[in-house]
Amino acid sequence: MSLKHRGIVQLGYVRIGLNDSRLTKSREFYSDTLGLLETQVSPGRACFRCWHEPQQFSLVIDETPENGLIEVGFQVRDDEDLDQIQARVEATGIPVTRCPADTPLAGLGASISFVIPGGQTLRLFAENRILGYPTGHDSPDWNTPRQLRGTPAPLFINHVAITTPDPAATINFLKEVLEFRLSEILTKDDGSTPLAGLLFRMSKDVGGQEISVFPGDAGRLHHIAFTKEDASDILTDGQYLREDGVNIDIYGPTRQSFGKTFSLHFFDPMGVRLELCSGGRVTENHPEFEPVRWTESNLNKALSFYDNKLNDSFLAASL
Amino acid sequence: MALTRFGYASLQVMDVDAAARHYVDIVGLRETDRVDGKVYLQAKDNQDHHCIILNPSDSAGLESIGFKVNDPADLDNAAAAAEAAGANVTRIAANEIAGQGEGVQITLPSTHLLTLYYHADKIGYACGMENPDPVGSTETGGKVNHLDHCLISAENPAEVTEFLVKVLDFGQSERAMDPGGNMMISFLFCGNTMHDLALGPGPNGHLHHLAFMVDDRGDVVRGVDLLKEKGVPTFDYGLSRHGIGGVQTVYFHDPSGNRNEFFSGAYVTPGIPDRVPPITWTMDHLTRGAFYYENAVPETFFDETT
Repeated sequence: MSLKHRGIVQLGYVRIGLNDSRLTKSREFYSDTLGLLETQVSPGRACFRCWHEPQQFSLVIDETPENGLIEVGFQVRDDEDLDQIQARVEATGIPVTRCPADTPLAGLGASISFVIPGGQTLRLFAENRILGYPTGHDSPDWNTPRQLRGTPAPLFINHVAITTPDPAATINFLKEVLEFRLSEILTKDDGSTPLAGLLFRMSKDVGGQEISVFPGDAGRLHHIAFTKEDASDILTDGQYLREDGVNIDIYGPTRQSFGKTFSLHFFDPMGVRLELCSGGRVTENHPEFEPVRWTESNLNKALSFYDNKLNDSFLAASL
Repeated sequence: MALTRFGYASLQVMDVDAAARHYVDIVGLRETDRVDGKVYLQAKDNQDHHCIILNPSDSAGLESIGFKVNDPADLDNAAAAAEAAGANVTRIAANEIAGQGEGVQITLPSTHLLTLYYHADKIGYACGMENPDPVGSTETGGKVNHLDHCLISAENPAEVTEFLVKVLDFGQSERAMDPGGNMMISFLFCGNTMHDLALGPGPNGHLHHLAFMVDDRGDVVRGVDLLKEKGVPTFDYGLSRHGIGGVQTVYFHDPSGNRNEFFSGAYVTPGIPDRVPPITWTMDHLTRGAFYYENAVPETFFDETT
């Protein structure tokens, strides 16, 4: 029997709902200020991808009466994975909903969705329409497309962070049922109760996580992170964001010890926290992989290696 | 389950102590063990026992490359699949390679030895595993996070690619094709990174280079400064960028002549084969693909293997 990667292989997309009439402010921000590529727009929905991504979207924004996180999409290998994961999720007593292809999102294959203990909805799918790399597949110039230059124009979606009043239950579910692994974990000082965790599925070089769990309100989004090539790029990106009047988190550009990323956090016009990150723990999808351990009294250093004061507001959910 | 990462390269070197000094003082690795005349080294941001093994020898070259698997049953499964595909397979006992559990060694169609293993002893990150300062170390050598990939040479890169995709579930991110439609260079991944193993033209069984990853383009620049200051021989172009993959790079040699690379770049692949069609480079664009700024490929670039 030959070897096969199984289960979740990649973070696919984040889908959020914003009370933004005709999505005017959001479309302008994500295209012109952040530098994503808009790939589809229909009444009440706009889809975006980063310039290095081959699939049709990694961010979906719906116009909704209330702001909120709608779902997080993860890609699996094939429909056999969907069956196996459905059985594992249902065995925990959590109901699973199955959707045929193109439902609820056009171009998405058959999918399953369920609500994790933290209150967020996850959707798993094997297919998300491949449009091809924006810079082409034939001897390409791997450069930021001309129309995006002068913006951050991140290369990829990197990870999504969620909040829950019971991080231990969510971390445990992600590990035991969906086979995520921890790259870093923050616990109470006696090591007993997990307060936050960075989790990944695959071996990756940048970011060290696909989903992270922070303490806070159930069902909410903490931030969405995008990949940048390196730290000096992120310093320049901060200049562009400032010039466009973007609200930048008081930490500013910093080394986030918890994950080892170089990061800049900021907010979209509706208050959604976003991150540009580079570096980070090199992960390995292996049962013996050991996470870095943090204790609560080191929280300030964990959140920012460079800043001297703890930014309490950083821990709040943003959507 | 599956392969996780490129774990280590076992190198032949003519002077073990000189090589160890190179991999510590220039590359920036930690020496983690010495057993039976062999030296084991690991990068600062990898928690396993070794990523480089230095073997005393009368010539430079590659003894074997190691990849980890994430299920102990993978060893038997991979051995059976490799044998069914016509490859020779031998067993390696636990601790036959220091710091490593049992493994299977597969002879690739290019005659390279590929070792699969499940367990590696843990040594932790150089910065520590509890409440660490998130900077590995700024003391010696390049700011290397980990050993990322290797490029090995093969008379028939397409044949080796087919074996690795079919038997070990590698995916292909990019490739270069010659005018006759033959695969000349092949970049293969087994995680979400651009490549773990690459194949280029040349003699079977040889090493083209080992690539060590740094976080930033600035770290590549300072790496070139370090190489020049210390008199380490580098490739003619010094600092460059590969058009293929879009990564910053510098090549240099260890004292025995094995080629190393410092590189940085962010490139995400889907983790499994056949999800995204590979990037294809044609010969008329290969100069730009190999060295983006210089737009030329010196003959020595492919000819020098060990």
